[in-house]
Amino acid sequence: MSVLQCNGLSKRYGKAPALEQVSLAIEPGRIVGLLGPNGSGKTTLIKLANGLLTPSEGEILICGAAPGRATHSLVSYLPERTCIPTWMSARQLLDFYGDFYPDFRRDAAEEMLQHLDISPAQRVKQMSKGTREKVQLIMVMSRQAKLYLLDEPIGGVDPATRDYILSTIISNYNPEAAVVISTHLISDVEKVLDEVIFINRGQVMLQSSVDEIREEKGMSVDALFREVFKC
Amino acid sequence: MLRKLLKHEFRATGRIMLPVTGILLATSVAANLSLRYLLDSRAWFFSMLGILLLTAFGFAIFGVFIVSFVLMIQRFYKNLLQDEGYVMLTLPVSIHQHIWSKLIVSSVWFIITGLAVILACCITAFDITIIKEILQGLGELFQELRKVQAYYAINGTAILMELIALAFLSLVAMCLQFYAALAAGHSLPSHKMAWSVAWYFGLQFAFQIIAFSGINILDQIGFFNWGIFYPEIHLDAMAGIHIGLFLLIFVTVVYGAVFYGITTFFLKKRLNLE
Amino acid sequence: MLWQFSGDAPIYSQLIEQIKVGIVSGVFPPGERLPSVRDLATEAGVNPNTMQRALTELERDGLVYSQRTAGRFVTEDKAMIETAKRALAERHITAFLDAMTRLGYQREEVINMLRQEITEGGNGDVSLAV
Repeated sequence: MSVLQCNGLSKRYGKAPALEQVSLAIEPGRIVGLLGPNGSGKTTLIKLANGLLTPSEGEILICGAAPGRATHSLVSYLPERTCIPTWMSARQLLDFYGDFYPDFRRDAAEEMLQHLDISPAQRVKQMSKGTREKVQLIMVMSRQAKLYLLDEPIGGVDPATRDYILSTIISNYNPEAAVVISTHLISDVEKVLDEVIFINRGQVMLQSSVDEIREEKGMSVDALFREVFKC
Repeated sequence: MLRKLLKHEFRATGRIMLPVTGILLATSVAANLSLRYLLDSRAWFFSMLGILLLTAFGFAIFGVFIVSFVLMIQRFYKNLLQDEGYVMLTLPVSIHQHIWSKLIVSSVWFIITGLAVILACCITAFDITIIKEILQGLGELFQELRKVQAYYAINGTAILMELIALAFLSLVAMCLQFYAALAAGHSLPSHKMAWSVAWYFGLQFAFQIIAFSGINILDQIGFFNWGIFYPEIHLDAMAGIHIGLFLLIFVTVVYGAVFYGITTFFLKKRLNLE
Repeated sequence: MLWQFSGDAPIYSQLIEQIKVGIVSGVFPPGERLPSVRDLATEAGVNPNTMQRALTELERDGLVYSQRTAGRFVTEDKAMIETAKRALAERHITAFLDAMTRLGYQREEVINMLRQEITEGGNGDVSLAV
């Protein structure tokens, strides 16, 4: 069964369409890039999968179920911006995730925090922007979820943090789970991906494997993206 | 899961409410000391200090109410409708549990605030002659009232309980009115706070119109004069008060429920996090 | 090991190439156990499925063999490693000669230049830019 499936999914804000008739499926074990320019509908799709928005038409299914309380425990979501409560300390954050998610691997999270020299007593408020992003990613990747939805995980961070984030995603790879990474910084993530989905103006333009694109077109996904979305 | 939500909600609010309550109790001790010693002191410095400490106590009472009130609104708004909402609203928890956890924790803090203020006043009044006399007077007044109660067969305790229940439910309904206004206002794409304020007053206005027309209709069908139309039903004044209070409680519960419905609708169907 | 990827070729074939270089150059010595797919993928910064595919392909060629529980090992067959080395070298030479032809050099000139470069440079610092 697909981890994420959309059938004729549309979302409109008022009259403005954000997604139009999107149909796609993402299988377990895949790391998928959701690629598109800003405002193409990537975040809308991810919010719909998290039940933070309701579809205007069509359906979106996570492991066969519509987004809701039950699917929230299957999905690990990294929002576009850091939004972990800033008053909490790293330890309180571990308590928080451990309390709500039975699949949270606290030891794995503690190890990753230690690796970054973040003391459990440190408050999120006192951390730098980059550290906050890393901490939030650690919380998200320490869950043993079926679907990881990472919205712009590498936007606006320095190259070292970017490498850390990508290697964390790879080292937490689980063949039974799918990872969706939305981004417009393709050259950085290309090697990490199995598949890419090009999305533009709310419509899926292409879903293909990275090596298929390289084999068939003789160019990188980044180059293809630039060609497809040429202004 | 509600229990876990409550645990973390208490953690989030306790770190503010506990120190504030502590400050209130500390200033009440200071106020008591200054009433007993400092104000009578001949040295201007000490009497000045006494006045300052008393003022601080006054501000602390005011402050603790303000803080618990602001916190009630801020927790809902910041935790569910702003950035933290991304984390909170994707927890494997229902919207109902979210609302209840906020509501329960706010109510508990309101009650604790009320009790803390009473305690603080008692501390301030401890061993002071004038206040002792006032309290004594009040005690005597209550004794007198007791006699009156016995004479007119009034059940004072029942009325008191009903009044407390009414006050508590009104508080809860007030919270829900704020929640409903915030949830509705934040479903709009821009000027979310302005719209929330507009929603608050809109709800207030709607409620008043409905209440007013309700009373009007009841009046028209002769509800308030039924004793005249049905002289065979004997209703004494006490029963009237009880019925009136129950009616008020019922209305409060109904409008609280309406606000609850509005809040859940907007959080479930019209959520619009930035 | 230094992992580098170019834009045009499929990533799995570039991985095969680079692991081969690793084996030939002794970074992964004969008979030695290879790191797990996940570790290799993390090190190279690539998708674990792609790394898996590259290793399966190497296995088919015989440069790598797997033991059910213990993991993957580099072949102990030194002759096979030598063949792989030779094949890699031939690829570099072909590419180099192609590049020189495109620049308009004749074979004789190329050989002379090489000889000159090696004796003069002394350090043998010949870069075979592909």
